[in-house]
Amino acid sequence: MSENKKTDVQLEEVRLEIPEEDIWTYKIDGLAAPKIGVTPKHYNLKKVIFVLVIVVAVALSCFFSVLALMKDTFEYEQVDGGYKFTRFSNTGYIKELEIDYVLDVKYELGNSDPNKNFTIVKDESKPIVEVGSYVLNCDEKVEKITIGAGVKKIDPKAFYSCWALQEVRVDENNPYYCDVDGVLYNKDKTVLIFRPCDHDTYLAKKYKLDEWDSDGASKWRKEIEPDDPRYAQYEKDVMTFVVPSSVKTIGEMAFNYANMKNVYLPEGLEKIETLAFFKIPPLKNVYTYKGENVTDSHFTGEDVLGEVYLSLPEGLKYIGSDAFSYNREMEYLYIPESVEYIGHHAFWDTVFKEDGELKGVSQICVASASEEEFESKVQLGENWKPKYDWLLFKKNVDVLYGQQRQAK
Amino acid sequence: MSKLLGKAKWLFTEVKTHWNTPAEGKYVPYKEYKDVVLSVGSNYAGSKVLEYIGFASWCYLIMYHYKLPYLTFSVIGILNMPLNYLSALMWWLVCDNLGFLQKKTEKKFYFVYALMMLFGISTIVFDFSKMFDQTGTFIRILNSFEGMNATACFKTFGTHFLYTGWVGARNIFWRKKLLPKFGRYKYSLYCDVVPKCVMVILIGWLPVYNIPDVATRVWVGNLLFATYNVFGFANNLETCTKTISPNMQERILVRSYPVKLSHFFNTLSSLAISIAIGFLKDEWADINLFRFVIPGTFIFFAALTMIFAGRVKERIPQPPVEKKVQIKFWDGMFGVLRNKYLLIKKLVELIDALGNGMLPFATVLYLYTFRLSGLPYSLLVMLVSFAGTPPDLLSPYFLKRFSYKQIMIFYQLTRAAGNAAIAAAMWFCGDNVNLCGTICVIVLFLMEMTKTVPTTAGHDMDARIGDYQMYLSGERLENFSSVMGWFTDPIKNFVGLIIPLMLLGYGFNSNWEILFYDASRANIIIIPLLFDVVGFVLMVIPYLFWDYDSEKQNKVIEVLKRRAEVTEKQAQEEGEKVSGGYVG
Repeated sequence: MSENKKTDVQLEEVRLEIPEEDIWTYKIDGLAAPKIGVTPKHYNLKKVIFVLVIVVAVALSCFFSVLALMKDTFEYEQVDGGYKFTRFSNTGYIKELEIDYVLDVKYELGNSDPNKNFTIVKDESKPIVEVGSYVLNCDEKVEKITIGAGVKKIDPKAFYSCWALQEVRVDENNPYYCDVDGVLYNKDKTVLIFRPCDHDTYLAKKYKLDEWDSDGASKWRKEIEPDDPRYAQYEKDVMTFVVPSSVKTIGEMAFNYANMKNVYLPEGLEKIETLAFFKIPPLKNVYTYKGENVTDSHFTGEDVLGEVYLSLPEGLKYIGSDAFSYNREMEYLYIPESVEYIGHHAFWDTVFKEDGELKGVSQICVASASEEEFESKVQLGENWKPKYDWLLFKKNVDVLYGQQRQAK
Repeated sequence: MSKLLGKAKWLFTEVKTHWNTPAEGKYVPYKEYKDVVLSVGSNYAGSKVLEYIGFASWCYLIMYHYKLPYLTFSVIGILNMPLNYLSALMWWLVCDNLGFLQKKTEKKFYFVYALMMLFGISTIVFDFSKMFDQTGTFIRILNSFEGMNATACFKTFGTHFLYTGWVGARNIFWRKKLLPKFGRYKYSLYCDVVPKCVMVILIGWLPVYNIPDVATRVWVGNLLFATYNVFGFANNLETCTKTISPNMQERILVRSYPVKLSHFFNTLSSLAISIAIGFLKDEWADINLFRFVIPGTFIFFAALTMIFAGRVKERIPQPPVEKKVQIKFWDGMFGVLRNKYLLIKKLVELIDALGNGMLPFATVLYLYTFRLSGLPYSLLVMLVSFAGTPPDLLSPYFLKRFSYKQIMIFYQLTRAAGNAAIAAAMWFCGDNVNLCGTICVIVLFLMEMTKTVPTTAGHDMDARIGDYQMYLSGERLENFSSVMGWFTDPIKNFVGLIIPLMLLGYGFNSNWEILFYDASRANIIIIPLLFDVVGFVLMVIPYLFWDYDSEKQNKVIEVLKRRAEVTEKQAQEEGEKVSGGYVG
């Protein structure tokens, strides 16, 4: 009975006459014969072939797998005019990186201290002109990056999730980029590209507000808590960031995972790109200032910033997707008349319920007079409004139209 | 209408008559159908709860709390690979002899396992990496692994020795002690359930994830999860139902109705867990998920499982344990290599490795595209998983109407088409979250609908492969069949690195949050999906060679019954004590 004509669960009455002495050897037509307790032909040869095949397969697999996983510390691609830095795999002990020439790690033989037994050497015949995306991804060691004069292009996502990165410095002769106190900008400072995740540690050290804890193997910085008498100073020097007045665009992921409580945006700001302020748990206050010629990110007082008002700047046109999502400390949100685009989930999870009470961005104030006017003027992404738990489902927060901006 | 009433009446009488004793030609009384629902339901739901826990990037505990580099898990896999090969030899020999080894061999095995454990413990206590030149190539290679350093590599390596020795020794001890009483599929539940419950609690409560240094966090976490893995709580009772009857039609019937009905327990538990997650402050990222919700649910179902486990029986026609064929190492090795149908299945698995390392698409869709949680999440998951239920109830019909070859080829082609459709939706309308998401959910629904019948067929094919192996070698050699993995695993391991390495290039790491970035999300999903499409198309080829039909299966079962009958008779004539046999 062929497989095509007969299906697999149609029962057939089968009766086989199997003598007692044949129970271990009885062969069914169309199937291989049982071999129980029988030594096969060429037994030893088969064993040898079997073992050889296995050994070769395992050895090759281990070799290629280790090869695939074993990363060179620095990886580059040759591009027009020089090299593109494509990937950095930390040896576990590199804390500073200079991105100007192709680098390599040389070890000092006989030195058993892993923190000090290497030096990073530069090949000055091979300049780096480009830094690719995700060159550093989830690095926990690098604290400082220096960008050389010859680097022409840095992908905005080049240094993603670098938890220990405190400062990015740029050679002052670089014609394309610059830094202001460890934060990366384009040369004319119209785009804020990247503020390192652990920039607050740099600021805490700078203003001598750093305290450290250790378990012997590693150490970490302790936050100064609100009940500490130094907290006001800490909030001002470390937890507050002033975006310079020249900035028109805050880049993709520019501030994500930062540790800051207050941010001052310039009134000339036009674009907040996707994920720009993503997941900044302490971020409570977003202010806009009107002052001009503000170049320093250090907050010294509102008097130097000119008039200051709450929430997003007048003149802002673009709010990218997830721009402020997962910032539950934020409270007041005002969408000015000038906004033309709000990406999907722009303010997602900025509201939550605690003890039956709504906390966070519990309502959104909009300058436009009505919902119709707002929706006709602004391109809105899905779920741009935050939602909170309502019974077993989620509910959008209220949007209040035709609102005046709340006074500071 | 009267026809329907007549049928209902007949069904009632049939169930009543054969509630305690099965009808002629059948083996399972209807009372056991009820027991299957309760026991498999609890066991399945409990084992599904454990799917929230794992030392891998898909686990929310790892994702939100441990925050380990994505490639670290591949590194650990490679470090563990050589020992896996060695320990597998001993493992198979123990398992396929059902724990009954010769005294001398048993002692040797215990000795080797004890040595492994001692070595493992010593690597955990001492830092063996210090014995090597810290600037030498070897240590530099170890330091270059993502998320690891030489110390962590040695400790991880040693942890696997400890784990292997511990698991191996327990395997001999408990198998020998419990298998004759509880059967080959259920015994492990009895020795593992209590320590498993303890470990589930410890996983959530031990703050290993707070260790600041990533390499230390990796090896301590690996040690914790390895200890957790020593104790199993798999879906043993459902596996037991694969051999609940030597009658093929009855086997299919049990697996189509009571077993499927039992999965409703899991639906309820998933719903309850999702709702509970919705109430947690940080939802999926809340540690209380692992401190209260998961342990509470697991312990509840584990207790139910143990109450009902004894009521489900395995009925493989087999000689008594004392009279079974003794499997020598090389007989086991060559025995499985003669099983053509096993080769076909393993070849399919090998090709399936093309999709290894890809992220679970549905999770990405629900959590990162739709941002669901709580009830809406569970309703959508339920809706999609329910899609498989109606066709599943019709499994007996489909299995009668189509051959296994046709069903499996259909399955692979529908997977290929579905994945291609999802990739296309993401490519062409990925920026429209609602439209793209809706298309994906519809495709997932259709894929689920067309999955359950092939899954039932696949399970029955596995059971038949075991029957055929028993005919060929006198034992099912379920463990020796892993020798195929010796040839395929090296290739799978290497191929399985392609996707993770690619994902890393798109910014993926273990906190998964790059998936909120639209451009990366598309790359991270679409390209692996295309790999999967190619894999599914290629998987059709081996099934073209499947020719094991019902006639052959019935003959095989006849041979097995005859062997059991004759050996039991001989044993009784010789006045030997017999246990664990079944003549059918």
